[in-house]
Amino acid sequence: MNDTAMVEPALRLRGATKLYQGTAAISDIDFDVAPGEVHALVGENGAGKSTLCKVICGAATLSAGELIYEGKKRAFDSPQDALNLGIAMVYQETSLVPTMTAAQNIHLGREPMFSTHKSLNIRAQHLLQSMNFSVDPKALVSTLGTAKRQMVEITRAIYFGARLIIFDEPSASLTPEEIQHLFLLIEDLRRRGVAVIYISHALEEALSIADRITVLRDGRKVRTVRASETTRDEIVRMMVGREVARTRASERRIRDRGELVLSVDNVVSGTMVRNMTFKVFAGQVTTIAGLVGSGRTEIAKVIAGAMKRRRLRGGTIKLDNRPVRYRVPTQGVRDGIVYVTEDRKMDGFFETMSISENIYLGYLAGQRQPLLVSRKRERELARNWSDKLQIAAINRDARVIELSGGNQQKVVIAKSMVQKPKLVIFDEPTRGVDVGAIEEIHKLIGKLADEGVAVLVISSYLPEVLSVSDRILVARGGRIVEQFDASAATEEKIMFAAIH
Amino acid sequence: METVTAPGASKVSVKITQEWIVFALAVVIFALFSLILRGFATVDNMLALVRNVSILGILSVGMALSILGRGIDLSIVATMAVSVAWMILMLGEGVAPPTAFALALAFVVLVGAANGFLVAYVEIPAVFTTLAMGGLVYGLGRFAMISVDIVNLPPGQDWLRGFGSGTLAGIPAPVIVFAVVCVVAYLFLSYAKAGRFVYALGDNPAAARISGVPVRPLIVLQYVIAALIAFCAGLVMTANVDSMNTRIVNSTLVYDVILVVVLGGIGLGGGKGGIRNVVVGTLLIGILLNGMTIMNIPFLMQNIIKGIILLAAIVADTLLNPRDEQTSQQGDI
Repeated sequence: MNDTAMVEPALRLRGATKLYQGTAAISDIDFDVAPGEVHALVGENGAGKSTLCKVICGAATLSAGELIYEGKKRAFDSPQDALNLGIAMVYQETSLVPTMTAAQNIHLGREPMFSTHKSLNIRAQHLLQSMNFSVDPKALVSTLGTAKRQMVEITRAIYFGARLIIFDEPSASLTPEEIQHLFLLIEDLRRRGVAVIYISHALEEALSIADRITVLRDGRKVRTVRASETTRDEIVRMMVGREVARTRASERRIRDRGELVLSVDNVVSGTMVRNMTFKVFAGQVTTIAGLVGSGRTEIAKVIAGAMKRRRLRGGTIKLDNRPVRYRVPTQGVRDGIVYVTEDRKMDGFFETMSISENIYLGYLAGQRQPLLVSRKRERELARNWSDKLQIAAINRDARVIELSGGNQQKVVIAKSMVQKPKLVIFDEPTRGVDVGAIEEIHKLIGKLADEGVAVLVISSYLPEVLSVSDRILVARGGRIVEQFDASAATEEKIMFAAIH
Repeated sequence: METVTAPGASKVSVKITQEWIVFALAVVIFALFSLILRGFATVDNMLALVRNVSILGILSVGMALSILGRGIDLSIVATMAVSVAWMILMLGEGVAPPTAFALALAFVVLVGAANGFLVAYVEIPAVFTTLAMGGLVYGLGRFAMISVDIVNLPPGQDWLRGFGSGTLAGIPAPVIVFAVVCVVAYLFLSYAKAGRFVYALGDNPAAARISGVPVRPLIVLQYVIAALIAFCAGLVMTANVDSMNTRIVNSTLVYDVILVVVLGGIGLGGGKGGIRNVVVGTLLIGILLNGMTIMNIPFLMQNIIKGIILLAAIVADTLLNPRDEQTSQQGDI
């Protein structure tokens, strides 16, 4: 490749900063990509990759810093703006209309004023052929596989005259052969002088396809390196990079395992969970680490019976050595399994209800009796749990929607704890929670385990994994690929296992 | 009185709410009509008003329950007309009252359960399910059960007539039935576990499900209750006029009922509001409809007015309870 310093970059960001309500999702990032260059962007979940891409493709605007595209300073109002200037994004979950044909999708939004199916099909055929894609333009997108959908999406970007294409985790749902094909495509785009930004968790891919790699961590750029001059180890170190959290686990007392509460054996469900096998013991915190998309949330929902219309396709789940297969969460809750959601707004709390009412609802839903509401019991529970979890609110009649993220999360946790569970599944228990509350939630998780409850935590945040766990499982591609005792685990080891 | 409020209505009574605005509006319109409309503030008209308002109000309670649980029941009028018409037809043919009553009741429960099953288990949107069910019930009723449009209440049957013409301490029976339905519904929503669950379901179905609320049986229960309340309204209606006109299914009654509920301040998105909202909505719409009839406003014009009010109420509902993605994402990082 050419020395990129010599070529005028297609896009350059200087000091890019994006604040969401005062919190910086990315701060002070310098980044550039040249025509005909593939620039990979890597980092943990929450490192700021997607925010950076949103800024580039016009889905978000910069709070500070500047964006220079093809020599001009720009501020995009919408993705449409960016698209008109030739910046296209190819999403992980494709954004095509499934009920339309490939040809219609390619033209979508830029149809000629007058056209026939035939003329659209012919033009689409030309475009597809020019890129060596074997996709039938007349095929409905719903009948196409993931790889072919991606081809349609790329063709669409080319038809729109894209000169900068962002790939967001393009390989996540592809087979190895399809990934090879994708690489050929990107190679071809490179030859055409298109600038490519490639976001991926898979470091090997980034190393083999990219010219340069930029590593992000906690919203900041760590470094940009040439792919030919670095190694996987070096990148992992840059991604993790924290020195502070390293020894936490060994300073803590590691709890011994109690009785076997849950065993998951070779479970297959949907497309995300493939042969998942692990065990959870009483009186211990077991954590599943790994990246988003590794099937962790899905297995948790399968266990709790919360997975809708996507039942177990194979394998067995045993609770207290008894095989269980819940159709609805009610059954799981009655057996003592509760799931604390990763997205509290979507399925965590009831926003029109007060703190007390939310907590009491959990209690009511947890058992058959009583059939009548008791205000006294409601107040009692609310008082107990607000104190226990230090829910800071002016009064317990305040609506949950008015609370801070940390307090909302505590209410959601209290709502589950009143159900007296024997197995609690925390999915990303501290997402969107303020620092003070994180500490308290971690303490609560530990206390539950001390009381003999089996706790399963799902977390992408490695310091959290190391500070709460007694046992650490690492999920990748729908399987548990590695197991550590907390005393033996380090962030690097976990990261190595999580990334293929 | 202890200030016990239903969950969705908590803390609203302090602020100026739709509920209070509607109540004030009802009072103003009542005063206005009394002053300018001859024949409005008469004993006869008040009795007619109270009867009509009661029937509208009873139906609205059923509708409100389904809307609170993030559903809607468009089949209540058909269920009401067909079940009661069938019952009095059986009475006319000499079937013993308890038998006829029990059969009609069974029919009503069946319709409600069918609605609930389709919405909860087959997961068809409530609007389509109940719209189709209304058509089916009416069609089937007229085809297989009732051969005439209007079924007259046979002589005798004083137990049934009592629902219309009877009085208790000077209060007409329809009003008492409406009051009883309101109180029972209020107690259900405020004190029964299932009532709490209805609010939870309306507020956030996904959270209700994951918390362990038996969402599907609850939805079935909700539609069965709505159908039972419709049956109750049918009894009052028949007792009032000594007959049941099945053509009422083709009238705008079901829209009047939605008008009452939405205008009263029960959010169409579910989970917000209570029985008080139904009562104030019923008052306002009842007075308005009665006044328009006295003023001799043509039927079509009445529909225009009601249509405009309904649209305005839905717009107000959308503004007060926004369902916009942006607002629902507030506070996210």
